[in-house]
Amino acid sequence: MPETTQGPRAPSGFNLPDFPAVKKSVIDSQIWRSIFRGGIWKDTPRDRAAHVIGNVWLHLHPVRVRPRALEWTYTWGLGGISFLLYLILTVTGVLLMFYYRPTVELAYRDMKDLEFAVTLGTFMRNAHRWAAQAMVVFVILHMVRVFLTGSYKKPREFNWGVGVLLLTLTLFLSFTGYLLPWDQLAIWAVTVGTNMAGATPLLGNEGPFGSLLGMRINNDVRFTLLGGTIVGENTLVRFYVLHCVAVPLLVGALLILHFWRIRKDSFSAAPRDPNEEKVEVWPHLVVREYIAAAACTLAIMVWSIWMNAPLEVEANPNVTPNPSKAPWYFLGLQELLVYFDPWIAGVALPGLIIVGLMAIPYLDTNPKGIGFYSWKDRAFANTQFLLGVAMWFILIYIGYYCRGPNFAWFWPWESWLTQQPPPPPTWNVFGPKGDAVLPTWLGVLALGGGGVLAIVGPKLVQRDLSGKPLCLGFAGLMALVAIGAHFIGHLAWLQGFWLVMFSVLYFYFGFVLPQRHIRSLEWPRYVITMFFVVGMMSVLLKMGARLGFDIKYVFTLPAFNLNI
Amino acid sequence: MYRKLFYTLNALMLAAFIVAAIVDYRKEWREYQGRYYRLMAADLEGKARQSADPEQTKRLRDQARQLRGTPLQIRQIIAKDLGRVDRCITCHVGMDEFLNPSLTTDLKEHPFTGHPDVSGIIRSHPLQKFGCTVCHAGQGLATELEAAHGYAENWEKPLGLGPLLQSSCVKCHGNLDTLRGAEVVAKGKKLFDDHGCIGCHQIRGVGGVISVDLGNIADKPLERIAPYNFSLIKTADGKPLPRRDWKLPAWIEAHMTNDTIEFVPNDPFAKYNKEPIAPSGMPDFRGEITPEGAKAITAFLLSQTEEEKIPIRYYVPGPPKTEPKFAGAAAHGKYVFDKHGCSGCHGLGGAQGRRNYNAMGPGQADPRTDMDKGREPALTDTVGTFTRDELRAKIQAGVPSSQIAKFNPDGPTPPLYMPAWKDKIKGVELEDLITYLLSIAKQQEDF
Repeated sequence: MPETTQGPRAPSGFNLPDFPAVKKSVIDSQIWRSIFRGGIWKDTPRDRAAHVIGNVWLHLHPVRVRPRALEWTYTWGLGGISFLLYLILTVTGVLLMFYYRPTVELAYRDMKDLEFAVTLGTFMRNAHRWAAQAMVVFVILHMVRVFLTGSYKKPREFNWGVGVLLLTLTLFLSFTGYLLPWDQLAIWAVTVGTNMAGATPLLGNEGPFGSLLGMRINNDVRFTLLGGTIVGENTLVRFYVLHCVAVPLLVGALLILHFWRIRKDSFSAAPRDPNEEKVEVWPHLVVREYIAAAACTLAIMVWSIWMNAPLEVEANPNVTPNPSKAPWYFLGLQELLVYFDPWIAGVALPGLIIVGLMAIPYLDTNPKGIGFYSWKDRAFANTQFLLGVAMWFILIYIGYYCRGPNFAWFWPWESWLTQQPPPPPTWNVFGPKGDAVLPTWLGVLALGGGGVLAIVGPKLVQRDLSGKPLCLGFAGLMALVAIGAHFIGHLAWLQGFWLVMFSVLYFYFGFVLPQRHIRSLEWPRYVITMFFVVGMMSVLLKMGARLGFDIKYVFTLPAFNLNI
Repeated sequence: MYRKLFYTLNALMLAAFIVAAIVDYRKEWREYQGRYYRLMAADLEGKARQSADPEQTKRLRDQARQLRGTPLQIRQIIAKDLGRVDRCITCHVGMDEFLNPSLTTDLKEHPFTGHPDVSGIIRSHPLQKFGCTVCHAGQGLATELEAAHGYAENWEKPLGLGPLLQSSCVKCHGNLDTLRGAEVVAKGKKLFDDHGCIGCHQIRGVGGVISVDLGNIADKPLERIAPYNFSLIKTADGKPLPRRDWKLPAWIEAHMTNDTIEFVPNDPFAKYNKEPIAPSGMPDFRGEITPEGAKAITAFLLSQTEEEKIPIRYYVPGPPKTEPKFAGAAAHGKYVFDKHGCSGCHGLGGAQGRRNYNAMGPGQADPRTDMDKGREPALTDTVGTFTRDELRAKIQAGVPSSQIAKFNPDGPTPPLYMPAWKDKIKGVELEDLITYLLSIAKQQEDF
């Protein structure tokens, strides 16, 4: 008697549908079968594997991963969130494209329409803007995470390189998007950014040796980027096409490569127990990914409701705001312009940063510390890398918060409405008579000899040194020098402090650490590594020289436009 | 736990989207527009009740129902010739010609009133052709109060209120003096001429080149005015100018209601620069020009634009200016004196020289504090010492800054100097000017 076992019945005349039967008939229907592959879901390991393999979107995952890969405190979801932000940007970007026309007359007007007339226009623009800012942050954080867990090491060297390219392209995407609102912020930030391109050695009209290749303002690399000699109509169209079509396609292609290599190289997380079982991606990893994505989307939405994207006065090529600042992620480079000539700050250093980052997996052959956070096994690599990241953000902080009109130094609590006394006069150390204090030949000798010594030095001392007494001793020595210089020469106390601080920083990061950790590296790798280490420390020293001692150039050769 | 998170986050995302949609839907203009329809409908229903004619009652009731049912939407005038899209009528619904052809309403409540000058200006300037902002300024595309009225930070030209509105007439209309409704601008122009402003500030090639060319002063980007200077401007009651008013009209007006030395102090003691820089050379006009006069001059100057693209057929030249007739050479000379703005530096009628920072002047003692007592020469005192030929040579050649004696030798170069007028004043004008000048010279006592 089946009817009696079936619990309470619906009132007569109305029968509840038989849900399992309906579900079965839907799943067995030709339409469902044609869309979703596989049979009835029984939640067996085979089903779960098939779910990942048989789905075009999910199959970028492996079927099973190590348990550590699921831990929030291993990946922090950073790579996935970066990709999610890319998707959010694609969706909001496409929606914005419906309302945006990239011409000088209409671009700014369309911004106003988005703000005042388009349904959810402000929300879409805010989401696009904030997601773009967040993506830059998350991509950088993702890189830091990958570095700290040693995930770039063999066999993942190539994928790290792809990641560095993706980071560069992320910055470039954000930069090209900066121009599109066509307000004062846009054209002047882009003007600052692209002017650096004009200082490219050989290819820029203001760069060293540019004139050798016949570079003029109207045929160099900056001209190619701008489609003119100033930021104008052609630039807007170029940046629009780059921003909406060319670069996103390139990023998409590289992303596919990036993901595919993660799967092929196997995910980096190290086993906690050599015999541990891997866990299934469906549902364990997928659900975590969804949670991270949902939380992040929610955050972007709340941020977009709460804060409006900036929009300044319509672009005017004749009126330069004071100060004109680059987008925040390039402000570090703009801050470097204070200390270096444009071809160094805008081209050479960023180039070296990118090349240096890509070279890391080939230089760091330390087999220890792959797939987990370890400080002891990777003290040298972690310290130097984090120092570089910290310097990048300190420079950004200075550029963003401490620079006011005329790019003069204003503390964050100082009003820009006050006038500042002029900066003290600067001087050059080595160079031709009249341009500098000390002669050129001495500069070549000192800088060349010093550079070689700085690079080779740590490897020459092949025995264990005790770090603490060494550093304290050096600091004491420099303090004595500073005190002596105060009484004999005319070194101010503050300058003495700068002298001790920067020289001790250099001594620790540029000598003590390499001496302790990489003195046994074979020569070629050692020299290249030290080249980047000394290069990074030199930037720090030059900043100290400029801020503390008003030195403009340590070495100058005006005849060749070569100033360091 | 993940199941709970999954549902919670999904719900929150949906909620956030709904909040975004609500925030987007609840725009200020909806409130205003809806209120207009309700008020107008209530007004019509009231009339319907009073009406004796059943036909009319029914018609009025139908109209009221129709109004209540009107969907809320952004309403705009596209003034094609002028390249403007004005959404002002989204809130000022009473001025929408399609909804309210008479442009008058019985509503007293702002922003629902009709246009105050329907029979005059509107008849000759139909809204469908001109829109709103070409005369009233402000931000036509905006649909939020602060932004639409042009007080948003990213909009440079706020609403022209009161007499400032008249500056827009001059964009198309020539011959101010006879233009009805532009009396304030005409007064401003007259004050501008009488006080010799043009002696230093040229407009379209007429006048001196000592200071800023005012021919396109209405287009001056705010970025060109340092916030530091704005922060030093005082309003009539001595308080600092409110941040919201840091816009061009207040900047221009401050030049006549404040002493420019106070808000453009520059760097007379070389604290921030290698060489000392004199404060603004603009004399202190507060004794001569009233606050109303300052407002009139501001209204006149706000008409000086070259940015506005107005089709050539919109221009109305007005009746030709009649050339004035003069009783004699000296009278003509006085006209020339005023026409070229000589009184800008030498005072009204050449009677009293105006301030020239760090030039020589009466009553100077302390080189640090008395630099602002420097004066331009008073012509009534000095021209008597010249012969006719000397005077001619002086006017033609001018007096460059380098020849003006400094009171404080370490102080800045005095900002005012006499331009060489040889290309601008010549022939009969020059001769009659000299005649006039000699006629005002104080008689020298004979010894």
